[in-house]
Amino acid sequence: MDRAADASSLVVTLVTAVALAPTSAFAVDYLSADEAAKLMFPQADRFEARTVAFDAEQLQRLQAAGVLPRSARWQVRVALRDGATLGYVVVDDVIGKFELISYAVGVGVDGAVRQIEVLSYRESHGAEIRLPAWRRQFVGKDASAPLRVGDDIANISGATLSCSHVTEGVRRIVAVIGLARQVGALG
Amino acid sequence: MLPVIRPTSIAAAAMLGAATAAYGQATPTEAELARKLDQLAAELAAVKAQLAALQQQRMQAPAASAPAASAPSPVASAGAAAQADTTPAGPATVFSGYAELNYNRPTQQPENTQADLRRFVLGVQHRFGPATKMVAELEVEHGVTSADDPGEVALEQAYVEQQLGRTWGVRGGLFLIPIGLLNENHEPTAYYGVERNFVETAIIPTTWREGGVQMIGQFGNGITLQTGISTGFDLTQWDATSTEGQESPLGSIHQEMALAKARDLSLFGALNWRGVPGLLVGGSVFTGNAMQGQTTTSSRVTLWDAHARWTPGRWDVSALYARGTISNTAALNAPLVGNPTLIPSAFDGYYVQGAYNLWTQQDYALAPFVRWERFNTGKSYADLGPGLTPSPLPTETVWTTGANFQLTPGVVVKADYQWFSVNRDANRLNLGLGWAF
Repeated sequence: MDRAADASSLVVTLVTAVALAPTSAFAVDYLSADEAAKLMFPQADRFEARTVAFDAEQLQRLQAAGVLPRSARWQVRVALRDGATLGYVVVDDVIGKFELISYAVGVGVDGAVRQIEVLSYRESHGAEIRLPAWRRQFVGKDASAPLRVGDDIANISGATLSCSHVTEGVRRIVAVIGLARQVGALG
Repeated sequence: MLPVIRPTSIAAAAMLGAATAAYGQATPTEAELARKLDQLAAELAAVKAQLAALQQQRMQAPAASAPAASAPSPVASAGAAAQADTTPAGPATVFSGYAELNYNRPTQQPENTQADLRRFVLGVQHRFGPATKMVAELEVEHGVTSADDPGEVALEQAYVEQQLGRTWGVRGGLFLIPIGLLNENHEPTAYYGVERNFVETAIIPTTWREGGVQMIGQFGNGITLQTGISTGFDLTQWDATSTEGQESPLGSIHQEMALAKARDLSLFGALNWRGVPGLLVGGSVFTGNAMQGQTTTSSRVTLWDAHARWTPGRWDVSALYARGTISNTAALNAPLVGNPTLIPSAFDGYYVQGAYNLWTQQDYALAPFVRWERFNTGKSYADLGPGLTPSPLPTETVWTTGANFQLTPGVVVKADYQWFSVNRDANRLNLGLGWAF
């Protein structure tokens, strides 16, 4: 590789590193990712960051299961206590109607949803997805559940798109965690 | 004895030689570049180390503050973990849009069949900062707008919204009045049937907007409260010679912030509860004087509604009642006697609707529905004396049944049939295509 190209790729790397740095100023921030993780697994004594990278065959398996993988790389926080795994937390964003909704999904070692938390909501309408009663619908559901609005998840009138997209996101995360555990990517 | 020369040594020597030659031939600029590159690499290594340290700190933070935590143990990251788990808030400017293309065929009067690009709306939302955004929608109705065409170009919304913390926000500008089930959620993908229901077009003049200031509070118990002060109706616009006031009394006197007379402002409030998943129960009221200081007579227009929607599983059931009143209509109607459309003192309507998501396959979804509605745009008239007081209009009953077919979320094809009990000539077949993004 010539030096000029080397230099430019370094610059790109640097810029990318800066671009990926977490941003904190949101319209309405309710929780940070760390706070959500702690809420979901209060008994954890530490959280371990794992990056799960799926290969093409694994992504196809997700797709075959009816889940659009969206990304091959997923960052998972593994909740641990005395070295034993309590569960997993994934932070994700989906588009509501016009803007991004940031949310976290906690999944137990049994593969079932333990908790959903909305971290940031920016839309003018539909913030009701934060309501505990709505989020509780996901608790205990695993990859065998439909996890679809209008099926096992009730809609919120006036927030249909936010409900559908978050539900879709949860379904994807449950499948991702399931596959990651299956292929041994989460230890 | 000949020294043993290993192939690797030869390769190393060759590489060193080549590198030396390269440096030897390097111009000062290239040498400088190489030095800078080394410097940059060192800086990158430092940044990477700092990032890794930050990541570790963030991961350990919950454990450190957890009650049962022992001394923080080092994080054994299985991956690079460089991907941030919060992403930026997306682009600052977002475009949106929706449209309805309708075909109406009255079966008794097929000569009145129409195909209409009912509305095409482009929206833009721009976020100025974390707590401030602007929302606007520009609408074109009936395809072509010119002096010789029936179209209309209008701004449906143009407001700035400021978030004031976790619960409250404030909206200022031209916004949709929070009333009923449709007015604020009027995209074709959001309702059943090709045409919007009659109650929420003839009684509540959807899409109804006013200019003003609105507070929005969203509470943890599922209650959303919206209240504010805005422009209101202009009764001096009432055209007694036209039937427009019979089609929609308030639709004929709303101002839409087009050089709106604004001496008399109106107050409004809406309370909605969504505390149980799938259930929405709410009500709203809008009231204000509507003579705008144009005459000595004053008249108050009040419109209120109560609504509920329940979506358990595949079902979608809703009901709504809306009633409007106009005060002092005797004085206002006296000079209008003899004209076909006097000002009603009361008008109301209600509907019940049920839909069922019968079939879904991937993005496809088929939802048949049935709606029963009754409405009267001239339910009562103030007494003007015998022979002068208009008779109340007959209450129209409309049955609508058909289906919404979702092609993909955001695109819907609709078909339905409507039976009218009074105006039987209006019985019609409707076909529609709509989208929203």
